[in-house]
Amino acid sequence: MTQPARHAAMLSISNSGSNLAAAAEKQQPAQHLHTQSQSSQGLRVPSNRKTIYDRHLNRSRNAELSRASFAFLFAEMVTYAQRRVTGIQDLEKRLNEQGYPLGLRLLDLLFYRTMSSSTSSSLSSSSTSASPPNRPLRILPLLHLIHGPLWRLLFNRPADALEHSVSPETPNEYMITDNDPLVNTYISVPKEMSMLNCAAFVAGIIEGVCDGCGFEAKVTAHNQPTEMWPGRTIFLLRFGESVMEREKVLERAGVK
Amino acid sequence: MSVFSLIIINKAGGLVYQREFQPGLRKLSTNDYLVLAGTFHGVHAITRSITPKLPLPVTAPATTPTTSTPNAVSPSATSTPAPSTVTHSFPNPGIPATGLETMETDKFRLTCFQTLTGTKFLLFTDPTMTNIDVIMKKIYELYADFVMKNPFYQLEMPVRCESFDRNLTGWLRGRA
Amino acid sequence: MVVYSFYIFDRHAECIYKRRWLPRPSSIVGSKSSRPTSEASAPATGPPAVLGQSARTTDDDAKLIFGTVFSLRNMARKLGGEDDNFVTYRTNQYRLHYYETPTNTKFVMLTDIKSPSMRVALQQIYINLYVEYVVKNPLSPTEHPGGVGVNNELFEESLEQFVTRVLS
Repeated sequence: MTQPARHAAMLSISNSGSNLAAAAEKQQPAQHLHTQSQSSQGLRVPSNRKTIYDRHLNRSRNAELSRASFAFLFAEMVTYAQRRVTGIQDLEKRLNEQGYPLGLRLLDLLFYRTMSSSTSSSLSSSSTSASPPNRPLRILPLLHLIHGPLWRLLFNRPADALEHSVSPETPNEYMITDNDPLVNTYISVPKEMSMLNCAAFVAGIIEGVCDGCGFEAKVTAHNQPTEMWPGRTIFLLRFGESVMEREKVLERAGVK
Repeated sequence: MSVFSLIIINKAGGLVYQREFQPGLRKLSTNDYLVLAGTFHGVHAITRSITPKLPLPVTAPATTPTTSTPNAVSPSATSTPAPSTVTHSFPNPGIPATGLETMETDKFRLTCFQTLTGTKFLLFTDPTMTNIDVIMKKIYELYADFVMKNPFYQLEMPVRCESFDRNLTGWLRGRA
Repeated sequence: MVVYSFYIFDRHAECIYKRRWLPRPSSIVGSKSSRPTSEASAPATGPPAVLGQSARTTDDDAKLIFGTVFSLRNMARKLGGEDDNFVTYRTNQYRLHYYETPTNTKFVMLTDIKSPSMRVALQQIYINLYVEYVVKNPLSPTEHPGGVGVNNELFEESLEQFVTRVLS
């Protein structure tokens, strides 16, 4: 019975304005099923309809995870990644690979929270997407999702800047700036490795999020120190050609 | 009111950090600083070992009867040396003796803080400087943060952490 | 304020006088009259055993103290310049005061940590006691190997008085 109904919904929605939801259903059936099962009371849902997933891991809003524990854990991750590496690029690649699966997994949590707590705020998207926030289809909403909600989820604050490459040759390049990345707070990179930026781990998370949304991209972290912000880091997002082509098609179709 | 310089000595007596903040002391060569760190490490241990030992009043009755009252049983005579070697206390009983904590000369004051892990922080300041413990605490905090949490720092090795330097200088400048 | 001990080192780095003031049970005081804890002369190294420390330890203490003040004095000169003087240091248990005469004789005093600076007191001991009763004493030799000449009665009596009356 569900099958025709879903099909009908897709047909109808494709004509209507709110095509975001339809696309989400099409590309992420898992999420669709999840919401369905919740509505059909198939899972054990407490009477107040607040499952454990609705709650923050931290009960109180201001409670934070220990920054020191994270710093020590991350230090060990860097040390681990350093074993038998051939160079700085290799090390950054490994850090990136450590972050990538995290980004993929985090995306589900982010979407789930953004959807269910759209009334309650803390994660509500600052992006341009319409009121039931959903999976971004175009690059700009995706970037806003990363810049805003993702950064807040990870670091409790939005990123500091979002820019598009000014060069006409590289329209597929976007830059997200963090003036003082949390992961680099306690890290002093030795002089002989001055090119290294351990935020490659965060770049990996971003890459995972992009891939999870269906945007093939390569993300790298670069040092851009200023006098005020010695740890300023630029995350360079390079989207793949397929993404750019789809972007053009969607633009023509008027998809936002 | 000025902080001249900071020296960090690892638990083996090796110099791992030396930095000057304000002029006031003579500059030494790297080798001289290494020697100074090693010397201080030794002196610090000696200053603890020469802590005056005060005999405990309660032991006196135990030692005097052996001489004044001959009817004491012979085993007590052999047992007296044992208590006499342990029956002393430090001037501040209850606190384990530390080594040198502050040292003063005409030109500067040296404050030494030894962490529970054996690392020593030596802060050279103006002799009139007060509230050095606040500065010392902050330095220890910055050390714990920016040195110990740095994945590129190898324990007991010289501290070359740019963010430690930066935060230390920034904080001291903010105080002055 | 409590004075624990007092040392004089000559220019040959030899300890020429050492004396300790230790709070002792009253029962022992009777056995040796006015200066029971003096260890000025070589024969007097016996008594410390009674005080809970072997004679070897007190001799070693003097050597250790000399090594300490010598190192710290050199450190002060190295960092502060040739005209800098090491004055005092403190641990959490005691305070050590140091005074060096122009003739390189070194006066060291160990007190409790609450005591104020004893630099002036050490200088007074040097000027008013050491110079008066040791240097000016025609019977005292110019050098004092093993403490010969320093352990005369006038010096010891007046030092005792100075410490008990003036300092405490």
